[in-house]
Amino acid sequence: MEKKRRGMTLANKQLAAGWLFLTPATILIFIMSFYPIVMAFITSLKTGKGVNIKFADPLTYNYSRMLQDVIFKTSMKNTFLYLIVEVPIMLIFAILLAQLLNNKDLKFKGLFRTCIFLPCATSLVSYSLIFKSMFATQGLINSILMKLGFISENINFLGTASTARFVIIIALIWRWTGYNMVFYLAGLQNIEYSVYEAAKIDGANGWKTFWNITVPLLKPTIVMTAIMSINGTLQLFDESMNLTSGGPANQTITMSHYIYNQAFGQGVGNFGYTSAMSFVVFILVAILAFINLKVGDTRD
Amino acid sequence: MTKKNRSMIQRRLIPTYIFLIICSFISVFPLYWMIAAATQTSLNVARGSIVFGNQLAVNYDHLLKAVQGTLWSSMGNSFLYSIVQTVFTLFVCSIAGYGFELYHDKGKDKLFGVLLLAMMVPAVATMVPLYGLVSKAKLLNSVWAFILPGISTPFMIMMFRQNSRNFPPDIMEAARIDGLSEWKIFFKMYVPVQKSIYAAAAVITFMNAWNAYMWPKVVMSDNRAQTMPMFIANISSGYTVDYGMTMLGVLFCSVPTMVVFFVLQKQFAEGITGSVK
Amino acid sequence: MKKKLLSLMLVGAMAASMVACGGSDTAADTSSDATTEDGAAAADVQSADENTLTVYAWDENFNIPALKAAEKDYQEVNPDFKLEVITQSQSSDVEQAITLAAEAGDYSTLPDIVLFQDHYIQQYVTNYPDAWQDADDADCDWAGLGAEKLSYSTIDGKHYGFPVDAGTAIFAYRTDLLEQAGYTIDDVKGITWDQFDEIGKKVYDATGKYLLCMDGDGNDLFYMMLQEEGVSQFKDGKPYITENETLVKVFDVLVKLAQDNVLYLANDWSDYTDQAIQGDMVAGVFNGNWIIPTMKQVADNSGKWEIVPAPTLTGKPGYASNGGSSLYITGNCTKTDLAKDFLAYTFGGRSAEDGQSITYDEALLNGGVIGTCAAAAESDVYQQGVDFFNGQAIYADIVDYTQNVPTVEQSDYHYACRTQLATALQNVLQNGYDSKQALEEAESNLKFEMGL
Repeated sequence: MEKKRRGMTLANKQLAAGWLFLTPATILIFIMSFYPIVMAFITSLKTGKGVNIKFADPLTYNYSRMLQDVIFKTSMKNTFLYLIVEVPIMLIFAILLAQLLNNKDLKFKGLFRTCIFLPCATSLVSYSLIFKSMFATQGLINSILMKLGFISENINFLGTASTARFVIIIALIWRWTGYNMVFYLAGLQNIEYSVYEAAKIDGANGWKTFWNITVPLLKPTIVMTAIMSINGTLQLFDESMNLTSGGPANQTITMSHYIYNQAFGQGVGNFGYTSAMSFVVFILVAILAFINLKVGDTRD
Repeated sequence: MTKKNRSMIQRRLIPTYIFLIICSFISVFPLYWMIAAATQTSLNVARGSIVFGNQLAVNYDHLLKAVQGTLWSSMGNSFLYSIVQTVFTLFVCSIAGYGFELYHDKGKDKLFGVLLLAMMVPAVATMVPLYGLVSKAKLLNSVWAFILPGISTPFMIMMFRQNSRNFPPDIMEAARIDGLSEWKIFFKMYVPVQKSIYAAAAVITFMNAWNAYMWPKVVMSDNRAQTMPMFIANISSGYTVDYGMTMLGVLFCSVPTMVVFFVLQKQFAEGITGSVK
Repeated sequence: MKKKLLSLMLVGAMAASMVACGGSDTAADTSSDATTEDGAAAADVQSADENTLTVYAWDENFNIPALKAAEKDYQEVNPDFKLEVITQSQSSDVEQAITLAAEAGDYSTLPDIVLFQDHYIQQYVTNYPDAWQDADDADCDWAGLGAEKLSYSTIDGKHYGFPVDAGTAIFAYRTDLLEQAGYTIDDVKGITWDQFDEIGKKVYDATGKYLLCMDGDGNDLFYMMLQEEGVSQFKDGKPYITENETLVKVFDVLVKLAQDNVLYLANDWSDYTDQAIQGDMVAGVFNGNWIIPTMKQVADNSGKWEIVPAPTLTGKPGYASNGGSSLYITGNCTKTDLAKDFLAYTFGGRSAEDGQSITYDEALLNGGVIGTCAAAAESDVYQQGVDFFNGQAIYADIVDYTQNVPTVEQSDYHYACRTQLATALQNVLQNGYDSKQALEEAESNLKFEMGL
């Protein structure tokens, strides 16, 4: 009897401890993320500004408004363009670099790794300033291209929609490839060397080894980095804001940047509308992450 | 024989070296440019000069006077906020990751799934309601306003949870039989063997906190509470910008994150390794 | 070694967090004590001292020197007075602070006074009425402050704001470059935009420099060129674009100027200031006079610039204004009488009544801020010749221009309209639209944005 009661308390204690460990994190996430998104949803049903805000009629007004909003559509197109072009290039590049660095015979590994990782340790404000100056009409890139004879007249990189988007993509790749590479490098170190030895004996060449062994074994890492990158790109704000200010004429603007502009950038914020747009972004990210997880899960 | 072999391997690696050198150069060049620009006049920076100048002292002098002379207090604030942020995040997320993995049952797994959703909440959406909360709690311009939204993040919890997989439950059982309380098990048995993941999490959190801009800008309106990125933003906008001075500020702002990474590099890599297993 | 460092850092971190927890109020207090003389709580942007006012402002090379000058000026009559400037990175930070405070329903986070952009104030007063206090009964001569400028800050017939800088536009030409193309400064006085285009083409051929430049994104040219003609982009609160003949003409002029390499469209503000102006790509600058400090950065060009009124569609001298901001008392200010008296004495021009105002003189000397106050323009500082502009007494000239700027209809959607027109211009230049199509799209987008 005595013994049993003590056992119960122990089990109870364990149970309580288990939940206690989760409590602070859970409470914080509920207050700091879920409460605001619920509030945002409620606000998304309202229209008007400042003291004149009231529930919309019909309630879905802000959502139907979005369908007619040319700039919102542009921002969505841009965001997906960045997503589709930048994320694969960056991730492939990161895997490639990780694969190269994961070579036993390579010297100065630490130095290379550090150099390639450094960009993501620089602060955002600084890196946008750097890129802006480099790609300025009379900036470094133009003078190099001029000297090499590729162009005869300075290109206004950031003033032309297509090249400005290109600069944003380059900047993103520059900043985040090293970060992702570290994850792959870590993933590769988890793969036993004997697996490669076996493949070599079977006569597989480098490319085949990479494709048939490295990639499948790296799959969890790839899924994780892909989710992180997709999430980051869909919420992309800083590059659009600091590098191009969304310009020229809103042609490089991202969804988050447009939302920010509507809330804080151009006079009194239209919070009903911005909340509706953020809610749409939330749903989009959730859907993509879900698809990603499903695709990545085929192995099990 | 082995020597010859080795040199052959090295020779075969030449393309790899060249490629890596190019990549490293591209990665590091903008940083070199930043350092060079910090020693130049504003006009030369705007004109894209890539050599060193002799304006370092002048730029530093201007920087000291900028934004009511808050360079070093901004630096201090950034350190304070980022370190406090790191400590709280590491504690809260590591016990959560530990709890989710080692005490897991159906209910907790479901809760974990729900918490992951928070990763997808866009920052812009939460800004106004969060500001309302912080403002009502009278926390504006305090370290709490800075850290609260960032303490508990699904990503960090996930990282710690992944790493907890390599912590054998048998040890816990043994410890329990020895009469250790649940918290003691965590602190005495778990934490000491998880140093590298703590280091990795610290690097990521510190970097994010140090570079945070949007949220601090909203809640830290007082110059005396401002962070380094805000200080930079203050000096880099306006009708006329002194680029030499700004670049020097940027340099100051970039050094701490780089140092943190340099110092914790090895543990960082090990920690990440554990979390992608 | 690394282990040691790691544990050292952990110890440091723990210690820091203890400080944070221990300092029960706010950790910012501990860090700010060093910089605050009176040790006031950092969490509060209000000051407990009854002779101290706090103000949000941006730009340490422009507005803030003007505020410092005003503080010094007012200390002559009230020696205990102190003005605490809280630097913001840009005008939108102040707007954001008001918005957030209003949306959170708590104005106690605001300072006593804010510097605010003229084009935005109307809608902020309409939407957040409690965030402001009017200053209608302040003791100053409103009539002497420039009617066009005050038209922004007068809401429902009540004065709310005190003007800091006149946004009066200048058209500056590089006389040396004009000369290389065979022109003198007199050739660009009182010309039409068509004549301007001809001259511009020659200048580009002869020197490779553009005769006009603008930030292509937030294109200010439409507004200024229309204002010269006394026309607005709005009529009765609605967009006035496709049916606005003047606007259509101005639009076509801009397309032509850009196509003829007379107008350089920079991609954003910093490209405009750093590359176009400071990078010596242009032979002409047309903008609010606050652009002067930017131009002056290029010391090599000293003495080569001169200022004249802008071209117009008809050839009469053109006067316009662009940008500029004023000071407003917030709803959170409890020292309202002090704030009103301070502002009326300084920027309201009371101290300038004897022809010499520390506020206006030092704002000009230290920040290049040119005020709207007619009385202040009598001073020696305003009347002096400026070497950079070939000895021309530009400040007196600019104050003179100010009196000629026509007042046109304003709108809450001023910047939205500007962005749409800039987009329309880009669409014609880059995406092959014709101007009618582009303007129609701009109008319908703007209407959409306004919810019409």
